[in-house]
Amino acid sequence: MKKKMNKSKMLLVKQKMNKFEFVEPIADRGCFIDDAPTYHSPAFQSIGFPVNDKGILLSSSMGLSSAATATTTLSEALKFCIFDLRRGQHEGEELEKILFFFPADLPFPAQLAVIGLSEGLITFTRIFSPEAACEVIEAEMHSHVFFEAEPDIWMVMVVAKSKETEAIWRIEALRSVLKEVHSLFVMFHGSIRLMLDKEPGGGLIRSHLYTFIMDYLSDFLVGNKFVLPNFRDSLKERGTVQMLTVGREAAIEVQSLVGALDSCMGNTLGYSVILFQDLLVSTTLSPDDTINLFSYGSLRLTPRVLSSGGSTWSYLRKGNASSHTEPVSLLANTGSAFDRSHGFRDASSAGGDNYRIVRPLQHGKWSRGKDGFLVTDIWGVEVGNLVPTTPTIWLQQTEHKMYLCAYQHKSLTIILLVPVTSMLNGEEGISMLKQQLLENASAKIFKVEEKLAKGWGGENAYHVKGYRYLLVDGDRNISRASPAGKVTTLTKESLLALNKVREDVDLEKSRAKGDCVDHEKDLEICIRAKNNAWVIARATRGKELYIVLEKANETLLYASEAVEKFSDRYCNGAFSLD
Amino acid sequence: MFGNTSSSQPTVGFGGSGALSHTYIQYPPLRCRNDGSRGLFYDDGNKLLISPTSDKVRTVFNSVVSWKTSPFTPDVAPTTDTISDGPVLSVRYSLDAKLIAVQRSNHEVQFWVRETGETFSQKCRSESGSILGFFWTDCAVCDIVFVKTSGLDLYTYVPELKSLDLVETKKMNVSWYIYTHESRLIVIASGMQCKSFTGYQLSSAGIIRLPRFEMAMAKSDVNSKPVLAAEDVHIVTVYGRIYCLQVDRVAMLLHSYRFYRDAVIQQGSLPVYSSKIAVSVVDNVLLVHQVDAKVVILYDIFADSRTPVSAPLPLLIRGLPRTSISTSQSNRKDGEGSETTLLNDTASHLYSDDWNFLVPCLVCDVSTGFLWKIHLDLEASSDGWYAISASSSEVPSVLEFLQRRKLEAKKAKQLCLELTRSLILERRPLPMVFRAIEVLVNAFSYSLKTGSYSKGGKSEKPTVENSVGTGTSDEISSADASGKSIRTESASGVDRRTVHNSSVLTSDSEDNANFRKAKAKFLDINSSSGNIDRETSVASESQLHDNQPLNANVSEQQDSQVTSAAIAPDELYDFVFASVEEEMIADASYLFAIIVEFIRSANVEKIKLHPNIYVMVVRLLGRNERYAELGQFILNKIIEPSKEVALQLLETGRLHIQTRKLGLDMLRQLQLHHDYVVLLVQDRCYFEALRYARKNKVNSVRPALFLEAAYASNDPQRLAAVLRFFRDFIPGFGTTSEHGTYIRALADMDSSIAV
Repeated sequence: MKKKMNKSKMLLVKQKMNKFEFVEPIADRGCFIDDAPTYHSPAFQSIGFPVNDKGILLSSSMGLSSAATATTTLSEALKFCIFDLRRGQHEGEELEKILFFFPADLPFPAQLAVIGLSEGLITFTRIFSPEAACEVIEAEMHSHVFFEAEPDIWMVMVVAKSKETEAIWRIEALRSVLKEVHSLFVMFHGSIRLMLDKEPGGGLIRSHLYTFIMDYLSDFLVGNKFVLPNFRDSLKERGTVQMLTVGREAAIEVQSLVGALDSCMGNTLGYSVILFQDLLVSTTLSPDDTINLFSYGSLRLTPRVLSSGGSTWSYLRKGNASSHTEPVSLLANTGSAFDRSHGFRDASSAGGDNYRIVRPLQHGKWSRGKDGFLVTDIWGVEVGNLVPTTPTIWLQQTEHKMYLCAYQHKSLTIILLVPVTSMLNGEEGISMLKQQLLENASAKIFKVEEKLAKGWGGENAYHVKGYRYLLVDGDRNISRASPAGKVTTLTKESLLALNKVREDVDLEKSRAKGDCVDHEKDLEICIRAKNNAWVIARATRGKELYIVLEKANETLLYASEAVEKFSDRYCNGAFSLD
Repeated sequence: MFGNTSSSQPTVGFGGSGALSHTYIQYPPLRCRNDGSRGLFYDDGNKLLISPTSDKVRTVFNSVVSWKTSPFTPDVAPTTDTISDGPVLSVRYSLDAKLIAVQRSNHEVQFWVRETGETFSQKCRSESGSILGFFWTDCAVCDIVFVKTSGLDLYTYVPELKSLDLVETKKMNVSWYIYTHESRLIVIASGMQCKSFTGYQLSSAGIIRLPRFEMAMAKSDVNSKPVLAAEDVHIVTVYGRIYCLQVDRVAMLLHSYRFYRDAVIQQGSLPVYSSKIAVSVVDNVLLVHQVDAKVVILYDIFADSRTPVSAPLPLLIRGLPRTSISTSQSNRKDGEGSETTLLNDTASHLYSDDWNFLVPCLVCDVSTGFLWKIHLDLEASSDGWYAISASSSEVPSVLEFLQRRKLEAKKAKQLCLELTRSLILERRPLPMVFRAIEVLVNAFSYSLKTGSYSKGGKSEKPTVENSVGTGTSDEISSADASGKSIRTESASGVDRRTVHNSSVLTSDSEDNANFRKAKAKFLDINSSSGNIDRETSVASESQLHDNQPLNANVSEQQDSQVTSAAIAPDELYDFVFASVEEEMIADASYLFAIIVEFIRSANVEKIKLHPNIYVMVVRLLGRNERYAELGQFILNKIIEPSKEVALQLLETGRLHIQTRKLGLDMLRQLQLHHDYVVLLVQDRCYFEALRYARKNKVNSVRPALFLEAAYASNDPQRLAAVLRFFRDFIPGFGTTSEHGTYIRALADMDSSIAV
């Protein structure tokens, strides 16, 4: 999404402000929210919107009073929609194009207003940049973040801006949320387009998207509102993997384990991913698939998530854990009310013409079995013997459907992926694989776990005293940052400054992407924030480094030396070439 | 050795279907037949075969003719010493070879000082028992021990007085005894059935008394009381451990006992198929000759395994001239004293009654006076192992067996390489290959620690000593610890460990003895023995196996230096990994897994690997486009940084920019500034290159390189910047012709830019 676009975007925003007077999201004025009418039409049922059994569209007014207020706040803060430009192109069929809308209880005219605006902008900007249309609209009160997930399938997120409520966003961070939810969706359900082709009515994709995205968004639910990645998360990079640093010896042991896992999977073209706590140790997957599986693993499979049982939400947002108050009881309450109010049903109880929906992101559904393998009934239970069905996922690169088989020993989580096609006898083959793993690899697993646990420095292992940093290796999609607990010590001013710097770098990067393909631009930004903190960004040869120095000396020289020192010690001198 | 081709041919080739035997004796033998000889004596202390002869001319004097049997060469010249006439019951040279002791009667041993010809006698009173025998020892407290029916007399020799001085007497009833110099151990049988034993080890560390023990004997019926005969008990030294083997003729079992300092532990029994049993030890492999059946069974009792190495097979004579066989067949009954007949006799009289088995691996045919040395055919025996352990999962143990072989180290090494190679080519299950690799790496690491592996350089003395066969023992003091000791031994390798003399029952090998008592002469014998043995065997082997590609690769000069079967990582790479790489292209991940395991094993043993192996890892990963994993390998430093690896990364990275960057970063981290700068220029990162060159003071890169590149880019701004850079930072650059050339070129490109 390119520099051309950046210009046209600016133009658009200006136009809107002055001359065209685009009807800025009506919801702002709240007219449709508080006295939201209840739509009652069988048509809604047929196109698969969440509808209760009387055919009444569920809205906040139908829910519990607490949930009603919650959703009210939610809809003010966040709107999230997915629509397909190839559908509903005739008058009167507009609803067809909506695949997902949050909040679902927003009246259709309001939903259509948001989508209409987005579609209009996309169509308009495509004139100038056909390959990469609209990226963002910055309005006075809102930011609209666009992401073309699949050809003609757009995801748009509308977030309210507000200085008071810390609602200061970095667009790229928001877009990476969109990217993430889409890749995860594709990993579990295949592409949206494919599902649309399967059932052109749209009911299938709508119900899948709805449950999936709502489950996903629930992770951002803090208190009774969504907290999306804002400026406080500037020292984080979504869509990257955090690696565990291991010594050579341990690395070799890990590799040897990988080999053993490979041989457990026999001749099938399987893959393995090894996590220690919520850090990646090893992967044989392609980088994109690794990111997806890593995100899923750290969201739902790590020992910490499992040990905290059903109400895991506070852990899921570990980054913000200290910066927000999280009354767990309310969360659980809201969560269930959330489920009810949005008409979620358990996959198992779904019957009739309802779709059997697998909810991989549902909370508290994974547990560690006695044999060390992680089990879940998310994918259903085999009739008769009560054995949970083995989960399956799609690989992005090869588009192969794989069985997912996870094993956990203490802090070590091992995920094996085996092609479904190679398992002719399905579950039986999986249980044989598990047997193989227990017999042939468990000794190695124990050894590796022990070794890694010994070398593991704990939560703050990667803290560097005096620095608050984020290091991103774009080539390998790896990032490392100061521990979240340490980042919270930074003042708001520093974080805001950093947020700004990151936006600038994002802009530079997207410009450079258009300019020349073969190598990245080097760049260096060094600013002094209002509170006298140094905020420094360096990018070179595909790597980025962001550092905040709050207790720095007066001089730029000092700051620059501090960065140099950091680069030499922790980045192999990658940022101190000159 | 013109006869090589005939009899040994069937054993050629690894298939082994034609292998008729895993042991052989090599023609020609050592001929020690002398006219007028009165029997042959073997002095195992000095490894001499001694034949007292009566001189027909001067009847008064006798002479002693002796042949050195170590090193074993057929054409060794005998040495003759003159002694006075008289009965000779036994002869032994002192360990420093200065004295000759001859037992004249049950009561008298006579001594000759070889230098001066002086003699003296040591007589024993008849009431104190008769002398059963005597032997010289390098024990700290005495020089010679007389074994009498009433016990042991320990004497020291006093050169000044030309007499023996009694040090100590150990009283006991002695029915018979056996002693081997190799183990320094005397085992004394007493009792009615001669089955209760006492033993002493007279080593340089002192005298150790073994606890009394009984040997088990099955009874044919309730009342019978079989008497154990001396010829049914053997002392063998294998891997420095001392065992006693006892034939139980009734049960048809060969019981084995292992000697510890304060215990004698029965180790289990081997079946026998002949009433007469002889044992030899070749290269730490136990050969049990089933004399009646004329077959040999091999055991490698290193890891307490009681399974034979191979099926019973006959002993083979190699190198017999074919003509002699045919003539012998036709002239069988001629009875002429011709050589062919004698040979013929040998051929047809394998395991005849005249065969005396000498410690550790010699056979003397007293009727012909031929002394044969028993050899092990490694190929056939490892093959045999294959055959015995029908499950091929035993390949690693075959490798272990081969790695333990010292005498034909080069051969063993080749076989190991060949075996490993075929393991991989046949795509055997990975765990097995892993185990094989581990065996090889461990063996190598062990040989490094013991110093027996010396790459390229001249083989050192300790190496040779090891190869002689009887390493220093590593017995563990108590039986309780034995289980543990076995484990550590098998983990760590074969022979020479740090000797804890205080608590350990050692069988002092010649090596130790030499250091203490004997002089340089013995060292010479030993060290040369190893070499010559090997050279001869190597020579014959390489003739046999010329058709094998592996042989051709190893130069002759190396051969003589191979003193250990241990395989260095480089060799493993060259002969196994690199050679299979082409054939494994389709299955690179299989090979990759093996190499990872190899790296792991090497890392465990702290062996540094050649960059070649890492280069190969990069290549394999690159070929399968497993770039992400490659990145992990580099970042975790599993692949150790080196210039070779960096260049391979750059090569692999032609298809994958991130990998190329890894290569560049590696060059930078290795401080290979020149290469780094050149590559930056290739990547058209001129300014980075210039800045880097300036910062790190890289002077080796010529300005022309940058200028040409900038010129070729057709960008006047760039060329101008580069020119400016050199003019600013290289003094006098402005006056060079180069400068002028590019200034003009710049002017041609675009006149609007001024430098």
